[in-house]
Amino acid sequence: MTAASPSEQDLIQRSTTGDSDAFGALVQPHLGLFYNGVLRILGNEADAEDALQDALISIHRDLPRFEGRSRFSSWGYRICLNAALMVRRSRVRIRDMERPDPLPLGPFDDRGHHQESEHGTEWQVEAQAHLLVEQQEMRAVLLRALDELPDSHRIVFVLKDMEDWETEEIAEHLLVPAGTVRQRLHRARVQLQARLRTYILGGRP
Amino acid sequence: MRLMPSCHDVQMELTEYLEGTLPLRRRLGIWLHLRLCRVCAGVLRGLRALPLLARQLLGPAEPVPDAALRALARMQQKQSD
Ligand SMILES: [Zn+2]
Repeated sequence: MTAASPSEQDLIQRSTTGDSDAFGALVQPHLGLFYNGVLRILGNEADAEDALQDALISIHRDLPRFEGRSRFSSWGYRICLNAALMVRRSRVRIRDMERPDPLPLGPFDDRGHHQESEHGTEWQVEAQAHLLVEQQEMRAVLLRALDELPDSHRIVFVLKDMEDWETEEIAEHLLVPAGTVRQRLHRARVQLQARLRTYILGGRP
Repeated sequence: MRLMPSCHDVQMELTEYLEGTLPLRRRLGIWLHLRLCRVCAGVLRGLRALPLLARQLLGPAEPVPDAALRALARMQQKQSD
């Protein structure tokens, strides 16, 4: 860092007095992180853009109350996730009310055991094992699969498996029992894994 | 009740198994099943690998997406109105 570049503290100070350029310079380095966080929760770019805009307004408004106890990026990121959750609540999705589809597991025989043909099928889920172009395609498949999950399931997967929130914390936030969080998490994991698995094994995504 | 659960039951309960919320007997049965069944063990490996894979695939894009820059521009426009 050079002496010429204004410090984050300096930018925060100037932003609170209405310096719009300072605010831009403050958030610009974290914009990719912030956008990515809301996109993961909302699953589509139009909603994510709206949520990020809401979040930036909240960040700007609450900046005088930012006390520097955590890093600005962590503080702002949390605001972004909350903004995404608010946007999510405002979007009523019919398919959340529907009876959930059966999970893409099996096929099993009458006793619930795997049929012979399935034996020998190995799940290979490692990003590093794939070429960059394949990773980009897998990214698109995963984004689509996330968008196709019921919102209540995607949100649990994102918060638990990608943001490392505790199950209890998610349950409190969504006002559902922890057991429900685990059920939704499991359904989401199985659905996502099945989509990537089909892709990885060379079938049509 | 038999100790060893079926593949179907194991695969339905893997998240509860990973979270450690199942009764001891059930946990033991699944543990045993996973040592004997390659398919279910593979499903478990997949579940464990999924968070890292998802984080790698959906990490922040470089350069910053246009949608993020648009959101900032719109927000700054609003603030100056
Ligand atoms: Zn099995």
